[in-house]
Amino acid sequence: MKVPEIRPPVELVVASGKGGVGKSTLTAVLALTLAEKGYRLVAVDADAEAPNLHLVLGVEEWSRVDEVREGRLAYILDDRCTRCNICAEVCTYGAVEVKDGRYTINPYICEGCLTCSLACPPKAIRYRFRVKSGEIRVAETHYGFTLVSAETMPGRPNSGKLVTEAKNLGKKLLGPSGVLLVDAAAGIGCQVVSSLTGAQLVVLVAEPTLASLSDLKRIHKLTKHFGIAPMLVINKYDLNIDTLPLIEEYAEKENIPVIGRIPYDPSVPKAMAEAKPITVYDPDSPAAKAAKSIANHIAENVLPHWRAWWAKYRPRKPEPYVPIILRPGQDNSRKHA
Amino acid sequence: MPPALVAAVTGGKGGTGKSFVATNIAVLLSRQLELLLADLDVEAPNDHLLLGATRLENEEPIAVFFPLIDYNRCTACGACAKACDTGAIVMARGTPPMVMPRLCSGCRACLYACPYNAISSEGRRVIGYTYSTPIRRSGGFRLVTGLLREGEEHTPPAVVAAKRRALRETPDEGLLIVDTGAGTGNSISAAIQEAELVIAVTEPTPLGLHDLKAILEIARGMGKRIWLVVNRAGIAGHEKHVELAKAYGAEKTFLIPFDPQAARSYARGAPAVEECPACPASKALQELAQALLAEAREKGVKAK
Repeated sequence: MKVPEIRPPVELVVASGKGGVGKSTLTAVLALTLAEKGYRLVAVDADAEAPNLHLVLGVEEWSRVDEVREGRLAYILDDRCTRCNICAEVCTYGAVEVKDGRYTINPYICEGCLTCSLACPPKAIRYRFRVKSGEIRVAETHYGFTLVSAETMPGRPNSGKLVTEAKNLGKKLLGPSGVLLVDAAAGIGCQVVSSLTGAQLVVLVAEPTLASLSDLKRIHKLTKHFGIAPMLVINKYDLNIDTLPLIEEYAEKENIPVIGRIPYDPSVPKAMAEAKPITVYDPDSPAAKAAKSIANHIAENVLPHWRAWWAKYRPRKPEPYVPIILRPGQDNSRKHA
Repeated sequence: MPPALVAAVTGGKGGTGKSFVATNIAVLLSRQLELLLADLDVEAPNDHLLLGATRLENEEPIAVFFPLIDYNRCTACGACAKACDTGAIVMARGTPPMVMPRLCSGCRACLYACPYNAISSEGRRVIGYTYSTPIRRSGGFRLVTGLLREGEEHTPPAVVAAKRRALRETPDEGLLIVDTGAGTGNSISAAIQEAELVIAVTEPTPLGLHDLKAILEIARGMGKRIWLVVNRAGIAGHEKHVELAKAYGAEKTFLIPFDPQAARSYARGAPAVEECPACPASKALQELAQALLAEAREKGVKAK
């Protein structure tokens, strides 16, 4: 197969809502397959609070590490503090703690929003600026493509900003054509929003559990806000055969093509322990074969004609995000308003 | 009255079994103790599903501050936009500020920064909902759940709102069990803030180990006591996980073996400790619950 030049680059995100369903395992196989077939490719680990893709890919050293120092951290000057408690009242995050009559700010919670310092009557609150919020790292993998990985400092906010910066670096390294492959975080918060912003295609990964189905619905709704065309992979599909139809029914109802099912396979954790993608650790294992055929399908049938794919499976009607704003004297807070 | 003991179940990596552990120990301990379970995984809350609850009850909106600008008073001085850390207030030169709702975190910095009182303190935005659902299993207990609206990106305020409701509704002198989301950012530290004891659930892979380290860093930094739980023990080696947790001062280690039957009960939404109390995973969960029960008694948690 002649690999098409994808210009401008396409952004393909692997996401799931629920954690631990196999995003990084699948992303690794997909990246290897695309690289093998000759696609220009940069992989981005966009799970800055729990980055793991480099471990699956066996990355041993980073060729580049950029510190990101965008954080702000409030602290209280005790000799100026009048114990008025206003900072504790205004902090949205509950970061102000009182211990033995002393007011302190928990550095693992503080967002650096400045509100407490603006509200403090005796001006007793100062900020440390340029606090390290995390790192963005680059590695050349053993498999012929570049990995960009974001990692936040434990307990620090705004991991979404790091993800955006990691993606921007990934795009820069990729250049004018190719595939940006993004491994998203669990959940539907700022990191995932940053991962999906600007993407055209998403591979949703689910397992046949009620929990995964619930999270799938939420992440799918988010991808609809962004007008992204989804496809679904069901992992560990044989662990709970009775819940499998619920996932498939949802996919059918929502026009999400199911592009593959991966069986539960004890080789997967063993491959992780060896820091190898499953298709390298044991190419003949059932999970490796299934993941490989999914990756081949994406490489051969989706990406070469991604615009047609997008047109076929994009959300039928736009479902933009609509904020619920309450004006004084108005109550439209109910969910089904 | 505040809870007599707050224990938080967390872990860093997704899918290690946080909710599995939290729901099962809540079911077991509800036979003896007054307790409340708080699902603070507001991005992907699932505890109600694992407990077989068909719907969440007693909805309350999570309403955070939202700047409503009075353009009759606004002089377009730019103080609000300068104070805004999230870039939610955009201003072209000389034009009045505009607020981008999705980016706004509701922090109020603009409200305090505005020199002309042009921002109302009464505007609110609903970023999600909290629920309080009675669980009629075992001894019975209440489940408080936080839920972030799809499209909202500011997780910590939703976590804080759900946590406050949980603290308010925990029975007097009771036990509060907190279940956090995946991750290691400040939405997790906010969730474990009141906890004395952190139960870190990991899996025996290098991925679990990597994320466990970040969680232990936070837990130790915040002065928490730590217990380690290795879930799906046996699928790969866990020596390094145990060693690492000990280096961070973990007091106890519990191993929950990989158990397909327990996994099936999880998938269906029935607690393993009730569905198959003799399963290997259930036995390990009982051991963990026993240890927590002893801890709770020592702290004077009210018995049923």
